[in-house]
Amino acid sequence: MAKATKPLYSSLDEWADVQPLDQYEKVNPLAPIFYTDEYKDATSYFRGIVKSDEMSPRVLDLTEHIIRLNPAHYTAWQYRYRTLMNIKAPLDVELKLMDELAVKYLKTYQVWHHRRLILTETRDPQRELAFVEESLREDTKNYHTWSHRQWVLSHFNDSDLWRGELDFLDTMFNQDIRNNSAWHHRFFVVFQSGVREGEEDRERVVRRELTFTKQNISFAPNNPSAWNYLRGVLEFNKLPFSTLTTFVFPYTQPTDPEAVDLVDLDNPPPSKQAELPCPAAIEFLADIYESEGGESLLKANQLWKSLADEHDTMRKRYWEYRIKESLQKGSA
Amino acid sequence: MANSRSPRPAPDDAFPTSTSRLQAETEAVLLDHIPTQAQAESAQLPAKLNRSAHVQFLARNFIQGFPAKYTSQDASQPWLMFWTLQSFSVLQVGLDAGNKQRAIDTILTWQHPDGGFGGGPGQAAHLLASYASVCALSIAGGPGEKGGWDQIDRKKMYQFFMSLKQPDGSFLVAHHAEVDVRGIYCLLVTATLLDIITPELIEGTASFIASCQTYEGGFSSASQPYYSSMPYTPESLLSSPRPPLGEAHGGYTFCALASWVMLQPFLDLSPGGISRERPQINVKSLVRWLVQMQGSAAEIGGFRGRTNKLVDGCYSWWVGGAFSLLEALGVSASATGEDSRASGRDAQPGEEGKDGENEHEWDDVDDSFFHREALQEYVLYAGQHPTGGLRDKPPKNADAYHTMYCLSGLSSAQHRMFPSVERREQIREAWKAISPQDTLPSKIRKETFLNSLSWTEDESASKILGGEANRVNATHPVFNLTITHSESIMSHFYGQKVPSRARSSP
Repeated sequence: MAKATKPLYSSLDEWADVQPLDQYEKVNPLAPIFYTDEYKDATSYFRGIVKSDEMSPRVLDLTEHIIRLNPAHYTAWQYRYRTLMNIKAPLDVELKLMDELAVKYLKTYQVWHHRRLILTETRDPQRELAFVEESLREDTKNYHTWSHRQWVLSHFNDSDLWRGELDFLDTMFNQDIRNNSAWHHRFFVVFQSGVREGEEDRERVVRRELTFTKQNISFAPNNPSAWNYLRGVLEFNKLPFSTLTTFVFPYTQPTDPEAVDLVDLDNPPPSKQAELPCPAAIEFLADIYESEGGESLLKANQLWKSLADEHDTMRKRYWEYRIKESLQKGSA
Repeated sequence: MANSRSPRPAPDDAFPTSTSRLQAETEAVLLDHIPTQAQAESAQLPAKLNRSAHVQFLARNFIQGFPAKYTSQDASQPWLMFWTLQSFSVLQVGLDAGNKQRAIDTILTWQHPDGGFGGGPGQAAHLLASYASVCALSIAGGPGEKGGWDQIDRKKMYQFFMSLKQPDGSFLVAHHAEVDVRGIYCLLVTATLLDIITPELIEGTASFIASCQTYEGGFSSASQPYYSSMPYTPESLLSSPRPPLGEAHGGYTFCALASWVMLQPFLDLSPGGISRERPQINVKSLVRWLVQMQGSAAEIGGFRGRTNKLVDGCYSWWVGGAFSLLEALGVSASATGEDSRASGRDAQPGEEGKDGENEHEWDDVDDSFFHREALQEYVLYAGQHPTGGLRDKPPKNADAYHTMYCLSGLSSAQHRMFPSVERREQIREAWKAISPQDTLPSKIRKETFLNSLSWTEDESASKILGGEANRVNATHPVFNLTITHSESIMSHFYGQKVPSRARSSP
């Protein structure tokens, strides 16, 4: 709702030259929406504008009005963009408006895409990363916001932009190590966007990532985001899971009340409060045994069975499938 | 049954964060919707599908109109129509002739003069609106002067599609709009139903889809294209780095996987495209990710859409419905190895018998990757709003979107759909060629028709929680239309007659 009631376009002299168009002229529609008078009036004038193909400053007012009433009105966005380009409107002004609208309408596709179109024109991404960080405060897992950040980085591909990403991620992980969007972003930054300055020593980078992930698993072992990342790092770098057997094993065991505090950076043990055994660890260990083949398949089967019958019964069918599949492979 | 899966809260390892707090709050709400031991024992399970309440909820909005809060869906009017019509279809409710005609007339006002359909009259054409409009017409429309089907301008639709095509094989969802795999799915379904798929249209699209798979196994919304500095030629698109934008997500994963399935004839028949290798997806990690999306007993076995997010009724379809699609890739939980059902391959004489054997086995072999009963419980216990319509989760309100995807998800948990070699053979025998058969476009056209319509319900494998009264219709795993509607509209546009199905009584 607009704060002050805007006068209807139909009552304004400066819009008298526009012929408003009703939405449904000859049809008695099914499933209509009961719009407010304000929305009906604005969109009728918008249809009139589209029909006459008018591109002018007042179109910017009208489309902004509609967008504020319904930010998913993609035709208003599309027409606004064409008008901006056509009348060569100042894009810094537009971007400022978008700063407000992006946070207000965080979940709409259009608000983010429009921002992208404007940035593609201005080619000035300097404020973008800070802006994204700000809007992630509103919604730490917003899909569009994260995608936008990834687009900014890869589209402009400027090393100044890339430089701060791991630090930025540290602040995100400090807030919530279960934020899967942050884990995905880490994979995007470290592995999927080429090799960045200071990251040329890939072995060191992989070691760093494994250490980071293992550490996070030790704080909160039942965090599927961390386990998925761990698998991702190994698979992407074609490293066998068995390189982590020593690390994983304690997580597959019941909580050990006798455990003493150890500082082992390579194989950090589960925290004292960890709820063990951890199904993700059992799955991981079973994968190790499966890849060893031979006698180890039996051990893998036992682990899958323990998942199916005890630790992860919701996925019983899947674990039984893994058993069947490995037996078929084993006998093939 | 519910009490055999005692709900255990998600472990937070005494390391709470906002994710685990929200999770715990949600589980506390869901706990109130799990039947008590006493209810379970006295067979007073609240596992009843409140059909009439849902039909009333839908019909009210449909006939009288949607309240003003639906203004946010003003650019999605075809979706409101499709969600409502398809919900009716899943609930086995037909429309009277008068309302059918009104639906057809309404839908046709959304067609854009330059091709495609928009979100409402006078709105720009959009891939999502085109899918929803054409699917809605599949349900309500028919051939003839007022039937809606022949009023779809297919030539302009094709031109609209081509105008959205990007050098990396992807498509904008509308002019000046974003690229994502929802749009590709919507385009492919529309083009498949209307018989306007060409090699030119889908060149490179499979590679784009494959590039959206993330390290988790699911698919993201899009990937970032990287080009070499050469002026554009197909070869100048670099195959890497081409990172996915955004994390693995249930909705995008469904769209990507269904697109991948629809692209199989092209992948099988096109000799490598333009000097490209056949793109690959990692099916193993995909299956793993899909099953990981099913929530625990404390979440009543509903599906979430991303790792460490909350369960939501709509993923009953986006994730729950994705499992049938795997069968089109020859991946089946019955694990009988690479079987003859893989799509896009010609059945050899003798394979029919093999398929028959597989079908027979379903009587006693446990048959799915996910927990079908649990998903039905989620929809029935948590998804139904007491006053009609279905929802994300309690205590939220029902809406048209969640009503449809909860119902379609329920359907995918009740029924097993698979591409039947036998059915494929029947349709192949009845196929009438209208153009030279050995050209690539006509081969793709035929394979597309056969693949799409060979989907068959394995009636012996139905599992209906709460009894027959809860049965909903099976839906096409790729299109999310009933099999009958899929057959009618495709037969019309491909100029084919498909043999009627012999309904085997269970």
